[in-house]
Amino acid sequence: MFQLRVKVLLLLLVLLGSTTFGAAEPGGNGDGLRDMQCGGACHGDAGQNATSSLSLSIETPEHVWAGQPTEVTIVVAGVDVSHDEDLVGLFLLSSTNANGDTPLSNGWEILSDGSGGTGNYVERSTDGSGASLQHTWILRADAIGERTLFASVHHGDATGSSQGRPFFGISEAFVINIEPVPEDLPRLHEDFVPPSMREVGEVTLVELQTKFTETVAVEWQTEDGVTLEASVNASGEQVWEFTLPATLKPSSLQWRATFTGQGPEQTTPWFTLAAQVTPAEVDDRPIYIQGLAMGLLLFGAVVALQKPRTNSEDLLKTFDQTVEIQTIQAADSVVESTSDAPAPLPEGGLPPGWTEEQWAWYGHEYLAGTYGGGQ
Amino acid sequence: MVSSNTFHVVATELVVGAYSLAGIAFVFCLVCPWLPTSLKEKRSAGDAVAHSALMFGIIATPFAIWSGLSSAPSGDMGSPLLANKMLLSMSGLGLALGALVGRWRIGAAVWETKRSSIIQACSGAGATGLMLLTASAGGKFSRGESLLDWLHLPYNEVMLMPTYLSVILLLLGLTCTVIGFRPTD
Repeated sequence: MFQLRVKVLLLLLVLLGSTTFGAAEPGGNGDGLRDMQCGGACHGDAGQNATSSLSLSIETPEHVWAGQPTEVTIVVAGVDVSHDEDLVGLFLLSSTNANGDTPLSNGWEILSDGSGGTGNYVERSTDGSGASLQHTWILRADAIGERTLFASVHHGDATGSSQGRPFFGISEAFVINIEPVPEDLPRLHEDFVPPSMREVGEVTLVELQTKFTETVAVEWQTEDGVTLEASVNASGEQVWEFTLPATLKPSSLQWRATFTGQGPEQTTPWFTLAAQVTPAEVDDRPIYIQGLAMGLLLFGAVVALQKPRTNSEDLLKTFDQTVEIQTIQAADSVVESTSDAPAPLPEGGLPPGWTEEQWAWYGHEYLAGTYGGGQ
Repeated sequence: MVSSNTFHVVATELVVGAYSLAGIAFVFCLVCPWLPTSLKEKRSAGDAVAHSALMFGIIATPFAIWSGLSSAPSGDMGSPLLANKMLLSMSGLGLALGALVGRWRIGAAVWETKRSSIIQACSGAGATGLMLLTASAGGKFSRGESLLDWLHLPYNEVMLMPTYLSVILLLLGLTCTVIGFRPTD
């Protein structure tokens, strides 16, 4: 018995030893608006993570004006060099506080995350990216002054000694100087919010609100890089309209506008407009009914099959009265054997008028007082 | 306050752990007659472990289902994976309850005949299999991968029956239950 237990214990130890530390969420966690610590499970946990060797930097245009959209690009260098990562999660942060550290907490507005959303966290596949990977957000600062941005990366490593470890990396601080907008600069109105998502098959009419603008030209490009010009019409004072064509499948296109006026010509960043298929509303009831039906059917089937049954042996036992009959017969035989013997004679001998033959037959009744009806 | 997501993780870990233990014990009880004598004697222990773990799993299952629905991003069956999870977990729950009720009615004698042993073990192990599939679908939904990926299971396809067929199955299940509980003459 002891040897068996040792064997079982050894087997369990071998099984435990053969496991590897798996990455928490190697399939990613989805794009979104997240603080650094909440973005990727154990990547942000200093007790579990490992330091990424990827190099991170942030690129911005020469002039970043308050109230105007501006491109902020994270450049990740060293992809697939030090690590074997299939997916990287990129954060655009305003601090390293690990809490309340999204750009929104520091006076930025995220107009586009470049993937059809407006979050600060995106996941990108490294397939075909080469050694360098770039991702661009469109931000808008609400006031002039210096603002700090950080880039952070979460990823795994599919091979080597660090296989499965959650890696974490963060860049140095990049200070961006937000300047006041030149007075006569043709530009977008501060209230303009570009659309970032639409349905597949839906044509999008975009209405641009501008300032100090005399003409507007819009160009758009598909994912394969083909660039086309859109027809722009003035629909009011400093209001312009143009149409972006529908897509036939979930994909994205980018567009930008060029404004001319009294001041220098201005071109907006590339705005991303993604198309998706929103799942149709699902009626839950058929699923619940089917689930209940399947559960009850299986329950009923097992209950019916596992019905307690009386087997033939039990039936035999039920109707077998051998023991009872034997007991009765034994009792009868005792009675019979007792009644066969003549009753002992009373002290005075045979009662008057009795013969020995009569005593042999009716002596018991005489002693019991029942002879002749007990009289 | 514990969020639905956290509560769901706790509940599913309890369910998966309990069902896994029960499944191993059920298989052990099934193959017991072919094991060495020293292990054969452990059948009563295996029986106790299997049904105790199964009962614990059954108690935890409704919490896992409820918290799973609450923590779903859209709060409903917006994903075919979630619909499959519901169908698999309800089927597993039905099988598990059937196995437990069968053991309660027949007692330890459930392992005395070949027929009832096979039904009992298949019900218990089947419930375990369905619950593990449910957990696998959950992993696929939340993390994009699961341990059963190598099976290439069609999680994104729901075999949804017409409602009338579900109602027929429901009545059939009810009939089976009534027949099962009707006393033998």
